[in-house]
Amino acid sequence: MSDKRVPITRVNKFFGDEDFRLQESMGMEYLHGNLNFTLVLYRVDRSKSVVDDVYGEASEEEIRYYPPVEFKALVNISAPTNESYAGGLMRYLESGNLTISVYKKELEQLGVDISYGDYIGYPETEDFTRYFTVSNDGRVAGDNAHTILGYKSFYRTITCVPVSENEFKGI
Amino acid sequence: MGRINKKIKKTLNMYPVVRNQPQYPSGYDGLSTPERRKQLAEFISEDGTFLPKSVLHADLDKGMLDFVKDKLKISVSGKGISVVDQILTIQRWAEFSNTWSFSDKDLNPEIPFLVTVRNPAVQYGSNPSLLYTIPDRRTFHYAKVPTWDGQRKGMDLYKIPQPVPVDITYNLKIVCNRMRELNQFNKVMMQTFTSRQAYTFVKGHYIPIILETISDESQISDNDKRKFYTQDYQLQLQGFLIDEEEFEITPAVTRQLMVFETDTRTKKRDPGPTKENPLSVFTETFTTDNTTLVIPFEFDANVTVIDTDNISNYIVGITIDGNTESVDPEFTTYYLSRGQSLKIEIVPIVGGDPMSITLQTKFI
Repeated sequence: MSDKRVPITRVNKFFGDEDFRLQESMGMEYLHGNLNFTLVLYRVDRSKSVVDDVYGEASEEEIRYYPPVEFKALVNISAPTNESYAGGLMRYLESGNLTISVYKKELEQLGVDISYGDYIGYPETEDFTRYFTVSNDGRVAGDNAHTILGYKSFYRTITCVPVSENEFKGI
Repeated sequence: MGRINKKIKKTLNMYPVVRNQPQYPSGYDGLSTPERRKQLAEFISEDGTFLPKSVLHADLDKGMLDFVKDKLKISVSGKGISVVDQILTIQRWAEFSNTWSFSDKDLNPEIPFLVTVRNPAVQYGSNPSLLYTIPDRRTFHYAKVPTWDGQRKGMDLYKIPQPVPVDITYNLKIVCNRMRELNQFNKVMMQTFTSRQAYTFVKGHYIPIILETISDESQISDNDKRKFYTQDYQLQLQGFLIDEEEFEITPAVTRQLMVFETDTRTKKRDPGPTKENPLSVFTETFTTDNTTLVIPFEFDANVTVIDTDNISNYIVGITIDGNTESVDPEFTTYYLSRGQSLKIEIVPIVGGDPMSITLQTKFI
Protein backbone atom coordinates (compact mmCIF):
# COMPACT_ATOMS: atom_id res chain seq x y z
CA MET A 1 0.00 0.00 0.00
CA SER A 2 1.25 3.41 -0.87
CA ASP A 3 1.73 6.06 1.76
CA LYS A 4 0.21 8.62 -0.53
CA ARG A 5 -3.52 8.96 0.02
CA VAL A 6 -5.86 10.16 -2.69
CA PRO A 7 -9.43 11.13 -1.83
CA ILE A 8 -12.10 9.13 -3.61
CA THR A 9 -14.63 11.52 -5.03
CA ARG A 10 -16.41 9.39 -7.60
CA VAL A 11 -20.17 9.13 -7.41
CA ASN A 12 -19.97 11.65 -4.60
CA LYS A 13 -23.17 13.39 -5.60
CA PHE A 14 -25.18 10.62 -4.08
CA PHE A 15 -22.66 8.30 -2.35
CA GLY A 16 -19.74 9.16 -0.15
CA ASP A 17 -17.42 7.72 2.44
CA GLU A 18 -20.02 8.03 5.14
CA ASP A 19 -22.52 6.07 3.09
CA PHE A 20 -19.86 3.54 2.32
CA ARG A 21 -19.11 2.94 6.00
CA LEU A 22 -22.79 2.74 6.79
CA GLN A 23 -23.37 0.10 4.13
CA GLU A 24 -20.27 -1.75 5.28
CA SER A 25 -21.32 -1.75 8.92
CA MET A 26 -24.83 -2.89 8.04
CA GLY A 27 -23.41 -5.74 6.02
CA MET A 28 -21.04 -6.78 8.76
CA GLU A 29 -23.80 -6.64 11.30
CA TYR A 30 -25.88 -8.93 9.10
CA LEU A 31 -22.94 -11.25 8.58
CA HIS A 32 -21.92 -11.37 12.21
CA GLY A 33 -25.24 -11.07 13.92
CA ASN A 34 -27.51 -13.01 11.61
CA LEU A 35 -25.37 -15.44 9.61
CA ASN A 36 -22.50 -15.88 12.04
CA PHE A 37 -20.36 -18.23 9.96
CA THR A 38 -17.18 -18.69 11.93
CA LEU A 39 -13.99 -20.00 10.39
CA VAL A 40 -10.46 -20.48 11.68
CA LEU A 41 -7.49 -19.07 9.85
CA TYR A 42 -4.12 -20.82 10.15
CA ARG A 43 -1.53 -18.50 8.73
CA VAL A 44 1.73 -20.09 7.70
CA ASP A 45 4.78 -18.56 9.30
CA ARG A 46 6.97 -18.58 6.23
CA SER A 47 10.04 -17.42 8.09
CA LYS A 48 9.99 -20.24 10.60
CA SER A 49 8.79 -23.09 8.45
CA VAL A 50 11.44 -25.55 7.36
CA VAL A 51 11.37 -26.18 3.67
CA ASP A 52 13.34 -28.27 1.27
CA ASP A 53 16.17 -26.31 -0.31
CA VAL A 54 15.56 -27.58 -3.83
CA TYR A 55 11.81 -27.91 -4.04
CA GLY A 56 10.66 -25.60 -1.28
CA GLU A 57 8.44 -28.41 0.00
CA ALA A 58 7.63 -28.98 3.61
CA SER A 59 6.19 -31.98 5.32
CA GLU A 60 3.29 -31.80 7.67
CA GLU A 61 5.52 -31.35 10.72
CA GLU A 62 7.82 -28.82 9.12
CA ILE A 63 5.27 -26.06 8.62
CA ARG A 64 5.00 -23.48 11.40
CA TYR A 65 1.91 -21.40 12.00
CA TYR A 66 0.93 -18.18 13.63
CA PRO A 67 -1.69 -18.52 16.32
CA PRO A 68 -5.01 -19.45 14.73
CA VAL A 69 -7.58 -16.69 14.37
CA GLU A 70 -11.34 -16.95 14.20
CA PHE A 71 -13.08 -14.76 11.66
CA LYS A 72 -16.51 -14.33 10.10
CA ALA A 73 -17.24 -14.70 6.43
CA LEU A 74 -19.97 -15.63 4.01
CA VAL A 75 -19.40 -19.27 3.17
CA ASN A 76 -20.19 -21.13 -0.02
CA ILE A 77 -19.09 -24.75 -0.36
CA SER A 78 -19.43 -26.39 -3.76
CA ALA A 79 -20.90 -29.85 -4.22
CA PRO A 80 -18.50 -32.69 -3.54
CA THR A 81 -16.90 -34.39 -6.53
CA ASN A 82 -16.79 -38.13 -7.01
CA GLU A 83 -13.41 -38.86 -8.57
CA SER A 84 -10.74 -41.49 -8.69
CA TYR A 85 -7.00 -41.63 -8.48
CA ALA A 86 -6.39 -44.39 -10.99
CA GLY A 87 -8.63 -44.21 -14.01
CA GLY A 88 -11.88 -45.13 -12.33
CA LEU A 89 -10.28 -47.03 -9.47
CA MET A 90 -9.30 -45.84 -6.03
CA ARG A 91 -12.33 -43.66 -5.90
CA TYR A 92 -12.60 -40.77 -3.52
CA LEU A 93 -15.35 -38.36 -2.67
CA GLU A 94 -13.84 -34.98 -2.23
CA SER A 95 -15.38 -31.89 -0.75
CA GLY A 96 -16.06 -29.07 -3.17
CA ASN A 97 -14.12 -25.84 -2.97
CA LEU A 98 -14.73 -23.39 -0.18
CA THR A 99 -15.45 -19.88 -1.40
CA ILE A 100 -15.64 -17.25 1.30
CA SER A 101 -16.46 -13.60 1.14
CA VAL A 102 -14.80 -11.68 3.93
CA TYR A 103 -14.97 -8.01 4.74
CA LYS A 104 -11.67 -6.23 4.42
CA LYS A 105 -12.54 -4.33 7.54
CA GLU A 106 -12.92 -7.61 9.43
CA LEU A 107 -9.37 -8.55 8.55
CA GLU A 108 -8.12 -5.08 9.44
CA GLN A 109 -9.82 -5.25 12.82
CA LEU A 110 -8.29 -8.67 13.52
CA GLY A 111 -4.92 -7.48 12.27
CA VAL A 112 -4.47 -10.46 9.92
CA ASP A 113 -4.22 -11.05 6.22
CA ILE A 114 -5.15 -14.16 4.27
CA SER A 115 -2.49 -15.25 1.82
CA TYR A 116 -2.12 -17.90 -0.84
CA GLY A 117 -1.20 -21.17 0.88
CA ASP A 118 -2.71 -20.36 4.28
CA TYR A 119 -5.09 -22.90 5.75
CA ILE A 120 -8.69 -22.36 6.78
CA GLY A 121 -10.71 -24.66 8.97
CA TYR A 122 -14.45 -24.84 8.64
CA PRO A 123 -16.25 -26.77 11.39
CA GLU A 124 -18.80 -28.82 9.48
CA THR A 125 -20.11 -30.46 12.65
CA GLU A 126 -19.39 -30.17 16.34
CA ASP A 127 -16.69 -32.82 16.10
CA PHE A 128 -15.42 -32.48 12.56
CA THR A 129 -13.55 -29.61 11.00
CA ARG A 130 -12.69 -29.69 7.33
CA TYR A 131 -9.54 -27.93 6.24
CA PHE A 132 -8.88 -26.04 3.08
CA THR A 133 -5.92 -24.25 1.64
CA VAL A 134 -6.18 -20.88 0.00
CA SER A 135 -5.80 -21.22 -3.76
CA ASN A 136 -6.89 -17.67 -4.54
CA ASP A 137 -6.55 -15.08 -1.82
CA GLY A 138 -8.74 -12.53 -3.65
CA ARG A 139 -6.24 -9.81 -2.98
CA VAL A 140 -7.15 -8.13 -6.26
CA ALA A 141 -10.72 -7.02 -5.56
CA GLY A 142 -11.14 -3.83 -7.54
CA ASP A 143 -13.76 -5.20 -9.90
CA ASN A 144 -17.27 -3.79 -9.85
CA ALA A 145 -18.72 -6.76 -8.06
CA HIS A 146 -16.50 -6.15 -5.05
CA THR A 147 -17.42 -2.46 -4.74
CA ILE A 148 -20.50 -0.52 -3.75
CA LEU A 149 -21.55 1.43 -6.81
CA GLY A 150 -17.97 1.43 -7.96
CA TYR A 151 -16.96 3.51 -4.99
CA LYS A 152 -14.49 1.24 -3.18
CA SER A 153 -13.99 -2.45 -2.79
CA PHE A 154 -15.10 -3.63 0.60
CA TYR A 155 -14.72 -7.40 0.60
CA ARG A 156 -12.54 -10.17 -0.81
CA THR A 157 -13.62 -13.41 -2.35
CA ILE A 158 -11.25 -16.13 -1.32
CA THR A 159 -11.23 -19.55 -2.95
CA CYS A 160 -9.92 -22.51 -1.01
CA VAL A 161 -9.44 -26.11 -2.08
CA PRO A 162 -9.60 -29.09 0.27
CA VAL A 163 -6.34 -30.48 1.60
CA SER A 164 -5.40 -34.04 2.36
CA GLU A 165 -4.66 -35.00 5.91
CA ASN A 166 -1.02 -35.64 5.25
CA GLU A 167 -0.67 -32.01 4.25
CA PHE A 168 -2.64 -30.36 7.05
CA LYS A 169 -5.04 -31.57 9.69
CA GLY A 170 -5.15 -28.74 12.19
CA ILE A 171 -2.75 -27.85 14.95
CA MET B 1 54.50 -63.51 -42.38
CA GLY B 2 53.16 -60.37 -40.82
CA ARG B 3 54.18 -59.18 -37.43
CA ILE B 4 52.37 -60.66 -34.47
CA ASN B 5 50.04 -58.19 -32.85
CA LYS B 6 51.41 -57.65 -29.37
CA LYS B 7 47.92 -57.08 -28.00
CA ILE B 8 47.01 -60.71 -28.51
CA LYS B 9 46.79 -62.44 -25.17
CA LYS B 10 48.97 -65.51 -25.22
CA THR B 11 48.28 -66.80 -21.75
CA LEU B 12 44.66 -67.79 -22.07
CA ASN B 13 43.68 -70.47 -19.61
CA MET B 14 42.12 -73.22 -21.69
CA TYR B 15 40.59 -74.85 -18.64
CA PRO B 16 39.12 -72.06 -16.57
CA VAL B 17 37.65 -72.80 -13.19
CA VAL B 18 33.94 -72.16 -13.00
CA ARG B 19 33.06 -69.83 -10.19
CA ASN B 20 30.41 -70.58 -7.60
CA GLN B 21 30.02 -74.18 -8.79
CA PRO B 22 32.40 -76.24 -6.71
CA GLN B 23 30.73 -79.43 -7.90
CA TYR B 24 31.81 -78.62 -11.47
CA PRO B 25 35.36 -77.30 -11.19
CA SER B 26 35.83 -77.63 -14.93
CA GLY B 27 32.38 -76.54 -15.91
CA TYR B 28 29.22 -78.50 -16.36
CA ASP B 29 30.04 -82.04 -17.44
CA GLY B 30 26.80 -82.63 -19.31
CA LEU B 31 26.16 -85.84 -17.41
CA SER B 32 24.75 -85.10 -14.00
CA THR B 33 21.89 -82.75 -13.22
CA PRO B 34 23.24 -79.39 -12.10
CA GLU B 35 22.62 -78.54 -8.47
CA ARG B 36 20.87 -75.34 -9.36
CA ARG B 37 18.45 -77.15 -11.64
CA LYS B 38 17.67 -79.56 -8.84
CA GLN B 39 17.05 -76.64 -6.53
CA LEU B 40 14.69 -75.01 -9.02
CA ALA B 41 12.79 -78.26 -9.44
CA GLU B 42 12.45 -78.50 -5.68
CA PHE B 43 11.01 -75.00 -5.56
CA ILE B 44 8.31 -76.07 -8.00
CA SER B 45 7.33 -79.29 -6.27
CA GLU B 46 7.81 -78.05 -2.71
CA ASP B 47 4.89 -78.76 -0.37
CA GLY B 48 2.97 -80.59 -3.04
CA THR B 49 2.91 -83.47 -5.43
CA PHE B 50 5.52 -84.39 -7.98
CA LEU B 51 3.66 -82.24 -10.48
CA PRO B 52 4.01 -78.49 -10.61
CA LYS B 53 1.19 -76.49 -9.14
CA SER B 54 -1.17 -74.55 -11.36
CA VAL B 55 -0.08 -71.05 -12.25
CA LEU B 56 -3.08 -69.07 -13.36
CA HIS B 57 -4.00 -65.42 -13.67
CA ALA B 58 -4.70 -64.90 -9.99
CA ASP B 59 -1.32 -66.39 -9.08
CA LEU B 60 0.46 -64.03 -11.45
CA ASP B 61 -1.47 -61.09 -10.04
CA LYS B 62 -0.49 -62.15 -6.56
CA GLY B 63 3.11 -62.40 -7.71
CA MET B 64 2.97 -58.83 -8.96
CA LEU B 65 1.48 -57.59 -5.70
CA ASP B 66 4.17 -59.39 -3.71
CA PHE B 67 6.80 -57.86 -5.96
CA VAL B 68 5.44 -54.36 -5.34
CA LYS B 69 5.18 -54.90 -1.60
CA ASP B 70 8.59 -56.50 -1.19
CA LYS B 71 10.76 -54.75 -3.72
CA LEU B 72 9.22 -51.34 -4.35
CA LYS B 73 8.11 -50.19 -0.96
CA ILE B 74 9.62 -46.89 0.03
CA SER B 75 9.56 -44.55 2.96
CA VAL B 76 9.96 -40.82 3.09
CA SER B 77 10.97 -38.99 6.25
CA GLY B 78 10.79 -42.27 8.14
CA LYS B 79 7.21 -42.93 7.14
CA GLY B 80 6.37 -45.73 4.73
CA ILE B 81 4.19 -45.13 1.73
CA SER B 82 1.04 -47.22 1.91
CA VAL B 83 0.52 -49.97 -0.66
CA VAL B 84 -2.88 -51.15 -1.79
CA ASP B 85 -2.50 -54.89 -1.38
CA GLN B 86 -5.15 -55.86 -3.91
CA ILE B 87 -5.63 -55.73 -7.62
CA LEU B 88 -8.57 -53.40 -7.92
CA THR B 89 -11.40 -54.42 -10.20
CA ILE B 90 -14.49 -52.72 -11.50
CA GLN B 91 -16.69 -54.28 -8.85
CA ARG B 92 -17.65 -51.31 -6.76
CA TRP B 93 -18.45 -53.28 -3.65
CA ALA B 94 -14.95 -54.74 -3.61
CA GLU B 95 -13.54 -51.27 -3.31
CA PHE B 96 -16.24 -49.91 -1.04
CA SER B 97 -16.03 -52.83 1.33
CA ASN B 98 -12.34 -52.29 1.69
CA THR B 99 -11.52 -50.51 4.87
CA TRP B 100 -8.29 -48.92 3.84
CA SER B 101 -5.75 -48.87 6.55
CA PHE B 102 -4.74 -45.47 5.30
CA SER B 103 -8.09 -43.75 4.92
CA ASP B 104 -8.95 -40.29 6.14
CA LYS B 105 -12.00 -39.14 8.04
CA ASP B 106 -14.07 -39.17 4.85
CA LEU B 107 -12.95 -42.82 4.34
CA ASN B 108 -11.05 -41.76 1.26
CA PRO B 109 -7.61 -43.28 0.68
CA GLU B 110 -5.03 -41.03 2.16
CA ILE B 111 -2.10 -40.07 0.01
CA PRO B 112 0.69 -40.94 -0.52
CA PHE B 113 0.07 -44.50 -1.66
CA LEU B 114 0.93 -47.02 -4.32
CA VAL B 115 -1.74 -48.85 -6.25
CA THR B 116 -1.44 -51.61 -8.84
CA VAL B 117 -3.98 -51.64 -11.62
CA ARG B 118 -4.13 -54.55 -14.03
CA ASN B 119 -5.06 -54.12 -17.63
CA PRO B 120 -7.99 -56.54 -17.98
CA ALA B 121 -6.84 -57.74 -21.40
CA VAL B 122 -4.23 -60.45 -21.04
CA GLN B 123 -2.26 -60.84 -24.26
CA TYR B 124 -0.54 -63.88 -25.72
CA GLY B 125 2.97 -63.93 -24.33
CA SER B 126 6.04 -62.46 -25.92
CA ASN B 127 8.58 -64.41 -23.89
CA PRO B 128 10.73 -65.93 -26.64
CA SER B 129 11.46 -69.08 -24.69
CA LEU B 130 7.81 -70.09 -24.87
CA LEU B 131 6.63 -68.43 -28.04
CA TYR B 132 5.03 -70.69 -30.65
CA THR B 133 7.56 -73.46 -30.13
CA ILE B 134 5.21 -76.44 -29.88
CA PRO B 135 1.89 -76.64 -31.71
CA ASP B 136 -1.35 -77.82 -30.12
CA ARG B 137 -1.44 -78.97 -26.53
CA ARG B 138 0.66 -82.07 -26.74
CA THR B 139 1.83 -83.34 -23.40
CA PHE B 140 5.44 -84.12 -22.60
CA HIS B 141 7.23 -86.20 -20.06
CA TYR B 142 7.68 -84.36 -16.81
CA ALA B 143 8.54 -87.04 -14.28
CA LYS B 144 8.45 -90.75 -13.57
CA VAL B 145 7.00 -91.41 -10.17
CA PRO B 146 7.27 -94.77 -8.37
CA THR B 147 4.02 -96.25 -7.11
CA TRP B 148 3.11 -98.97 -4.63
CA ASP B 149 -0.48 -100.04 -4.03
CA GLY B 150 0.36 -102.56 -1.34
CA GLN B 151 0.79 -105.44 -3.80
CA ARG B 152 2.28 -104.08 -6.93
CA LYS B 153 5.26 -101.87 -7.45
CA GLY B 154 5.08 -99.71 -10.53
CA MET B 155 5.85 -96.41 -12.16
CA ASP B 156 3.52 -93.62 -13.24
CA LEU B 157 4.38 -91.29 -16.06
CA TYR B 158 3.53 -87.66 -15.42
CA LYS B 159 3.09 -85.61 -18.55
CA ILE B 160 2.26 -81.93 -18.90
CA PRO B 161 1.78 -79.66 -21.93
CA GLN B 162 3.98 -76.70 -22.64
CA PRO B 163 2.92 -73.72 -20.50
CA VAL B 164 0.96 -71.01 -22.29
CA PRO B 165 2.84 -67.71 -22.41
CA VAL B 166 0.92 -64.61 -21.36
CA ASP B 167 1.77 -60.96 -21.06
CA ILE B 168 -0.06 -59.03 -18.39
CA THR B 169 0.22 -55.27 -18.27
CA TYR B 170 0.08 -53.53 -14.93
CA ASN B 171 -0.01 -49.83 -14.18
CA LEU B 172 1.73 -49.10 -10.95
CA LYS B 173 0.61 -45.68 -9.81
CA ILE B 174 2.09 -43.57 -7.10
CA VAL B 175 -0.15 -40.83 -5.78
CA CYS B 176 1.56 -38.28 -3.58
CA ASN B 177 1.87 -34.58 -3.06
CA ARG B 178 5.59 -34.07 -2.77
CA MET B 179 8.33 -34.21 -5.33
CA ARG B 180 10.60 -35.89 -2.81
CA GLU B 181 8.28 -38.88 -2.67
CA LEU B 182 8.28 -39.11 -6.45
CA ASN B 183 12.06 -38.95 -6.50
CA GLN B 184 12.40 -41.65 -3.91
CA PHE B 185 10.06 -44.00 -5.70
CA ASN B 186 11.61 -43.28 -9.07
CA LYS B 187 15.03 -44.07 -7.64
CA VAL B 188 13.85 -47.44 -6.36
CA MET B 189 12.20 -48.23 -9.69
CA MET B 190 15.29 -47.31 -11.66
CA GLN B 191 17.51 -49.36 -9.40
CA THR B 192 15.19 -52.35 -9.58
CA PHE B 193 14.87 -52.23 -13.35
CA THR B 194 18.38 -51.15 -14.15
CA SER B 195 18.78 -54.38 -16.15
CA ARG B 196 15.43 -53.75 -17.85
CA GLN B 197 13.78 -56.60 -16.04
CA ALA B 198 13.21 -57.79 -12.53
CA TYR B 199 11.75 -61.04 -11.29
CA THR B 200 8.91 -62.09 -9.10
CA PHE B 201 8.58 -65.57 -7.67
CA VAL B 202 5.34 -67.43 -8.31
CA LYS B 203 4.99 -70.98 -6.98
CA GLY B 204 8.60 -71.80 -7.61
CA HIS B 205 8.91 -70.04 -10.95
CA TYR B 206 10.86 -66.90 -11.61
CA ILE B 207 8.66 -64.62 -13.71
CA PRO B 208 10.23 -61.64 -15.47
CA ILE B 209 8.75 -58.18 -15.22
CA ILE B 210 9.74 -55.47 -17.65
CA LEU B 211 9.47 -51.73 -17.11
CA GLU B 212 7.88 -50.35 -20.25
CA THR B 213 6.95 -46.70 -19.85
CA ILE B 214 6.69 -44.00 -17.25
CA SER B 215 4.10 -41.30 -17.62
CA ASP B 216 2.81 -38.45 -15.54
CA GLU B 217 -0.86 -37.88 -14.84
CA SER B 218 -0.45 -35.31 -12.12
CA GLN B 219 -3.25 -32.96 -11.38
CA ILE B 220 -1.38 -29.70 -11.32
CA SER B 221 -2.81 -27.55 -14.08
CA ASP B 222 -6.08 -26.58 -12.46
CA ASN B 223 -5.30 -24.02 -9.80
CA ASP B 224 -8.69 -24.29 -8.18
CA LYS B 225 -8.48 -28.00 -7.53
CA ARG B 226 -6.52 -30.02 -5.08
CA LYS B 227 -3.08 -30.69 -6.48
CA PHE B 228 -1.29 -33.98 -6.27
CA TYR B 229 1.18 -36.00 -8.27
CA THR B 230 0.18 -39.19 -10.02
CA GLN B 231 2.84 -41.10 -11.90
CA ASP B 232 2.18 -44.22 -13.85
CA TYR B 233 4.81 -46.92 -14.24
CA GLN B 234 3.67 -49.41 -16.82
CA LEU B 235 5.04 -52.88 -16.18
CA GLN B 236 4.71 -55.97 -18.29
CA LEU B 237 4.76 -59.32 -16.57
CA GLN B 238 5.89 -62.02 -18.96
CA GLY B 239 4.32 -65.02 -17.34
CA PHE B 240 2.83 -68.32 -18.35
CA LEU B 241 -0.16 -70.39 -17.49
CA ILE B 242 0.10 -73.92 -16.17
CA ASP B 243 -3.24 -75.59 -15.74
CA GLU B 244 -3.26 -78.82 -13.76
CA GLU B 245 -6.48 -79.79 -15.54
CA GLU B 246 -4.28 -80.49 -18.55
CA PHE B 247 -1.88 -82.79 -16.75
CA GLU B 248 -1.81 -86.46 -17.67
CA ILE B 249 -0.84 -89.31 -15.41
CA THR B 250 -0.50 -92.67 -17.11
CA PRO B 251 0.77 -95.97 -15.66
CA ALA B 252 4.07 -96.88 -17.24
CA VAL B 253 5.47 -100.12 -15.79
CA THR B 254 3.94 -102.50 -13.24
CA ARG B 255 5.96 -105.20 -11.54
CA GLN B 256 4.12 -108.02 -9.75
CA LEU B 257 5.77 -109.99 -6.98
CA MET B 258 4.66 -113.67 -6.96
CA VAL B 259 5.68 -116.19 -4.26
CA PHE B 260 5.75 -119.99 -4.83
CA GLU B 261 6.22 -122.85 -2.40
CA THR B 262 8.06 -125.80 -3.92
CA ASP B 263 9.34 -129.24 -2.81
CA THR B 264 12.99 -128.79 -2.05
CA ARG B 265 13.81 -132.50 -2.39
CA THR B 266 15.64 -133.47 -5.53
CA LYS B 267 14.25 -136.33 -7.62
CA LYS B 268 15.97 -137.94 -10.53
CA ARG B 269 13.72 -138.24 -13.52
CA ASP B 270 13.86 -141.05 -16.02
CA PRO B 271 15.31 -139.82 -19.24
CA GLY B 272 12.92 -139.82 -22.17
CA PRO B 273 13.79 -141.70 -25.34
CA THR B 274 15.76 -139.83 -27.90
CA LYS B 275 17.39 -140.72 -31.17
CA GLU B 276 20.71 -141.01 -29.38
CA ASN B 277 19.15 -143.06 -26.58
CA PRO B 278 16.11 -144.83 -28.17
CA LEU B 279 15.49 -147.35 -25.37
CA SER B 280 13.36 -146.50 -22.39
CA VAL B 281 12.18 -148.78 -19.60
CA PHE B 282 9.44 -147.76 -17.22
CA THR B 283 7.13 -149.44 -14.74
CA GLU B 284 3.46 -148.67 -14.40
CA THR B 285 1.49 -149.62 -11.28
CA PHE B 286 -2.15 -150.59 -10.98
CA THR B 287 -4.70 -150.54 -8.21
CA THR B 288 -7.63 -152.77 -7.49
CA ASP B 289 -9.99 -150.04 -8.72
CA ASN B 290 -8.03 -149.23 -11.82
CA THR B 291 -6.75 -152.23 -13.73
CA THR B 292 -6.57 -150.52 -17.14
CA LEU B 293 -3.67 -148.47 -18.45
CA VAL B 294 -3.76 -146.18 -21.49
CA ILE B 295 -0.48 -144.70 -22.77
CA PRO B 296 -0.68 -142.26 -25.71
CA PHE B 297 2.36 -142.18 -27.97
CA GLU B 298 3.61 -139.10 -29.70
CA PHE B 299 6.26 -140.92 -31.64
CA ASP B 300 6.67 -144.18 -33.45
CA ALA B 301 7.89 -146.91 -31.12
CA ASN B 302 8.10 -150.65 -30.49
CA VAL B 303 6.82 -151.58 -27.04
CA THR B 304 7.71 -154.83 -25.28
CA VAL B 305 6.41 -156.15 -21.95
CA ILE B 306 9.50 -157.34 -20.14
CA ASP B 307 8.16 -158.03 -16.63
CA THR B 308 4.97 -158.27 -14.60
CA ASP B 309 4.31 -158.42 -10.86
CA ASN B 310 1.14 -159.92 -9.27
CA ILE B 311 -0.46 -160.11 -12.72
CA SER B 312 -1.88 -163.42 -13.94
CA ASN B 313 -2.87 -162.23 -17.40
CA TYR B 314 -3.13 -159.08 -19.46
CA ILE B 315 -4.82 -158.01 -22.71
CA VAL B 316 -3.11 -155.52 -24.96
CA GLY B 317 -4.96 -153.28 -27.40
CA ILE B 318 -4.00 -150.43 -29.69
CA THR B 319 -6.34 -147.48 -29.98
CA ILE B 320 -6.43 -145.88 -33.40
CA ASP B 321 -8.76 -142.88 -33.90
CA GLY B 322 -10.85 -143.92 -30.88
CA ASN B 323 -11.20 -147.56 -31.95
CA THR B 324 -9.35 -150.14 -29.91
CA GLU B 325 -8.21 -153.31 -31.56
CA SER B 326 -7.00 -156.23 -29.41
CA VAL B 327 -3.61 -157.70 -30.17
CA ASP B 328 -3.12 -161.42 -30.45
CA PRO B 329 -1.61 -162.80 -27.20
CA GLU B 330 1.11 -164.48 -29.22
CA PHE B 331 2.72 -161.10 -29.92
CA THR B 332 5.03 -159.77 -27.25
CA THR B 333 6.17 -156.66 -29.10
CA TYR B 334 3.72 -154.02 -30.30
CA TYR B 335 4.30 -151.39 -32.92
CA LEU B 336 2.65 -148.02 -32.26
CA SER B 337 2.63 -145.04 -34.55
CA ARG B 338 2.41 -141.43 -33.56
CA GLY B 339 -1.08 -140.53 -32.29
CA GLN B 340 -1.97 -144.09 -31.32
CA SER B 341 -2.43 -145.28 -27.72
CA LEU B 342 -1.43 -148.50 -26.01
CA LYS B 343 -4.20 -149.97 -23.83
CA ILE B 344 -3.39 -152.72 -21.28
CA GLU B 345 -6.00 -154.45 -19.14
CA ILE B 346 -4.69 -156.73 -16.39
CA VAL B 347 -6.03 -159.51 -14.24
CA PRO B 348 -4.41 -159.59 -10.79
CA ILE B 349 -3.25 -162.71 -9.04
CA VAL B 350 -4.01 -161.48 -5.54
CA GLY B 351 -6.40 -158.57 -5.30
CA GLY B 352 -5.29 -155.76 -3.00
CA ASP B 353 -1.57 -156.40 -3.43
CA PRO B 354 0.59 -154.07 -5.54
CA MET B 355 0.45 -154.81 -9.26
CA SER B 356 2.86 -153.52 -11.84
CA ILE B 357 4.02 -154.06 -15.35
CA THR B 358 7.38 -153.09 -16.81
CA LEU B 359 7.51 -151.93 -20.41
CA GLN B 360 10.39 -151.23 -22.71
CA THR B 361 9.90 -148.76 -25.55
CA LYS B 362 12.23 -148.26 -28.42
CA PHE B 363 12.13 -145.01 -30.34
CA ILE B 364 12.01 -145.65 -34.07
